[in-house]
Amino acid sequence: MGKFIVRRLLQMIPVILGTTFLIFMMVYALPGDPTDGRCGQRPCPPQYVEAFRREYNLDKPVIVQYLLYLAKLLTGDFGTAYNGKTVLHELSIRYPVTIKLALIAIAIEAVIGIAAGILAAIRKGKFIDNLVTVSTLLLISFPVFVIGGLCQLVFGLQLGWFPVTATEGTWEQLVLPGIVLASLSVAYTARLTRTSLVENLRADYVRTARAKGLTVPRTIAVHALRNSLIPVVTYIGASFGALMGGAIVTERIFNINGIGGYIYKSIHDRDGTALVGTVLCLVVVYLVVNLLVDILYGVLDPRMSHD
Amino acid sequence: MRASRVIMAAASAAVFALVLSACGSGAGDGGDAASTGSDDAATAGSDGAATGGTEVSIRGCTPENPLIVTNTNEVCGGNVLDAVTSRLVHYNSDTAAPELDLAESIESTDQINFTVKLKQGYLFHDGTEVKAKNFVDAWNWAAYGPNGQLNSYFFEPIEGYADLQCADEECAAAPAAEAMSGLAVVDDYTFTIKTVSPTSNLTVRLGYNAFAPQPDAFFADTDPKKANFAQLPIGSGPYKIVENDDQAMVLEKFADYSGQYPGSVDKVTFRIYDSTEAAYTDVVANNLDATDQIPGPQLIGDLWKDDLPDRWGTKDTGVIQVITFSPIDEQLESIEMRQALSMAVDRALITKQIFNDARTPATGWVSPVVDGYKAGACTACVFDPDKAKELYDKAGGYTGTLTISVNGDGGHQEWAEAWCNQLITNLGLDCAVNATPDFATLRKGINARELKGLYRGGWQMDYPSIENFLTPIYATGASSNDGDYSNPKFDDLLKQAAAASSNDEANALYQQAEAILGQDMPSMPQWYQQSQFGYSTKIKSLKMTPFSTFDLGSIELN
Repeated sequence: MGKFIVRRLLQMIPVILGTTFLIFMMVYALPGDPTDGRCGQRPCPPQYVEAFRREYNLDKPVIVQYLLYLAKLLTGDFGTAYNGKTVLHELSIRYPVTIKLALIAIAIEAVIGIAAGILAAIRKGKFIDNLVTVSTLLLISFPVFVIGGLCQLVFGLQLGWFPVTATEGTWEQLVLPGIVLASLSVAYTARLTRTSLVENLRADYVRTARAKGLTVPRTIAVHALRNSLIPVVTYIGASFGALMGGAIVTERIFNINGIGGYIYKSIHDRDGTALVGTVLCLVVVYLVVNLLVDILYGVLDPRMSHD
Repeated sequence: MRASRVIMAAASAAVFALVLSACGSGAGDGGDAASTGSDDAATAGSDGAATGGTEVSIRGCTPENPLIVTNTNEVCGGNVLDAVTSRLVHYNSDTAAPELDLAESIESTDQINFTVKLKQGYLFHDGTEVKAKNFVDAWNWAAYGPNGQLNSYFFEPIEGYADLQCADEECAAAPAAEAMSGLAVVDDYTFTIKTVSPTSNLTVRLGYNAFAPQPDAFFADTDPKKANFAQLPIGSGPYKIVENDDQAMVLEKFADYSGQYPGSVDKVTFRIYDSTEAAYTDVVANNLDATDQIPGPQLIGDLWKDDLPDRWGTKDTGVIQVITFSPIDEQLESIEMRQALSMAVDRALITKQIFNDARTPATGWVSPVVDGYKAGACTACVFDPDKAKELYDKAGGYTGTLTISVNGDGGHQEWAEAWCNQLITNLGLDCAVNATPDFATLRKGINARELKGLYRGGWQMDYPSIENFLTPIYATGASSNDGDYSNPKFDDLLKQAAAASSNDEANALYQQAEAILGQDMPSMPQWYQQSQFGYSTKIKSLKMTPFSTFDLGSIELN
């Protein structure tokens, strides 16, 4: 197992190098220069442009830019964004907010999604099953900006149950955005759990367990559910990365100063330094979460042990 | 083995947690500090009430540049610096008329040699006094080429500016001089400015942010970019900045401010919003006290006035929108074609249907908010489809598809479509809108003179003078002359106006120059802009300036 983890951690190095390189190239390939729109209607003074390009190494070939960036990165320096603030400082403020938001969303997704899935599976074909099926279908078919805008208007503005925006990113402010963010994946989680559990409930080993005289709750919770959760755990793990990086829409609606908005802004400003640093952190988180998921497999199903 | 698996899982979870915190190293600290800040903000209301302190929150946005007056040219940083600094001249928040602020007097007999006398006893936020050298040193630093300041061109009229510029693009060799010969300190409260050529409106220009004095602390910052100073810049304005992070920029009233434009409330928080929609929703919910932008969809049918009953306002601002004719499009060269394209469009219909009258159809090239404005310079801005068609046929028509290029990220597509449709209907030509992904891409196309057809141009005044709407955009070789317009007669009138001995004489000459634009049609004026703003029930009244910023001295609370 230890060997497995070490191997996986080592595998991360080429992945990180590859992603940073690709993103660096993509920013470089974007049309337009970072200084193009900075001076409004007039072109920027040439001396400003020159100083700006020198400061951010934009006057060098892209490969040199990338290597210089990497060299700095190895010393723990994430560089400076175009507005003069260090990227590390921005990340240190924005990551905790995004992680809070993602954790709230994951919690909602896991608890509500799995519970709804179990209920639907054991009452297959009954009212509760249909209710889960229809409501998840509704959630899936609504785009997130509709759900977000609607929730903000109804629960925030009209009923006043939740704060309207989450500028400071405190836990209570992030509950409503967390629900909105989780809405799509909660639907998938519920459906995945239901399908998987329904299949396993028909399996021979469940009949054997019942025949042994085990109670129904124990059969479902310990035997069937544990086997059914493997695809669900995979999905939740994968969605964690998506929840962190893909919350751009939710972040804009609720004015959350998180990672999604920073990525959007960096792309808009063609700010490669800020973008690559942010994505680098996302990649690391994503890889680690997936490693965790792989380890969890072993816990859920001993046949998949990594020993 | 099962137990060990569980332990491994727990251990990996711990590793995971470590990675997360390492990734934003100091993440915990940053997060805590930030939430403490917000708690303060949340509780300060009650605390403040006890001590009699008042505070408001205003929509802010992320500054694009470090907070240095000579390196900030956009509103996000400008809003804050406006309140933090004071200048020689202050613009009246109702009329934009220049009034002396730090200056006791600015005098000149020949419009070339100016003598500036300062009022005594003005303090920077660090307690040092504002003296003549704070101006001269700041301006020399900003104009010095290697410092690469965005607003350096504002110092171009001063004699010796050229000697401070780099000889080559890489700036390998240091410029010939480090100080402009046109600036001289006479005593602590007097300095002189000598301009290259007569500049009758120099006094008006001196109210622009870039001309603010810098304290000794600015020059003491050893960082070549003054990055440390820019975190919490020190000025001599009515408010000092005490906090500057990603979520908010906090200003507090400067206790030792001795000028005539003091702040009103004790604390102003510019809370950062990425989208105007979120800020608007917060104002409706009384979560935010004021927003200077109302989202487009809320303007339709005056929805915003219903959402914000008795807590909204509008202000005419010094912004004009024009459509420029591409200089590389031969088919657009003839004056008949230009007049036809302008006369074929009913501007009033577009401003009503698309902007709900939040824009006023333009009748010239100069915004009505400035001194020297005269209506009706653009005779071809009057809607006359028959005459337009006649002129269009006379010009020989336009072959191919005429494109209107706009940036797709600024809400310009709607009017561009409408403009196109009117050209199609009234002139029978082919017209299409070319929306670039963002403003930078549009500017790249324009600056490189790659775009054909028509393109959008917007101008927000730097200082309230008729000259600011003419010289930088239409003088031969000017920095923002997107249409490569050139007319020696026009240039000559600008020169005469700059040398005029009185303001009225200068304005009359500038008006004559604008009349020449009416004959040549270097661009099609579209409309003058109005700003809309909303505020919470906490605020009784507040004013917006003609620069679309809030006048922080005007806030009255309920």
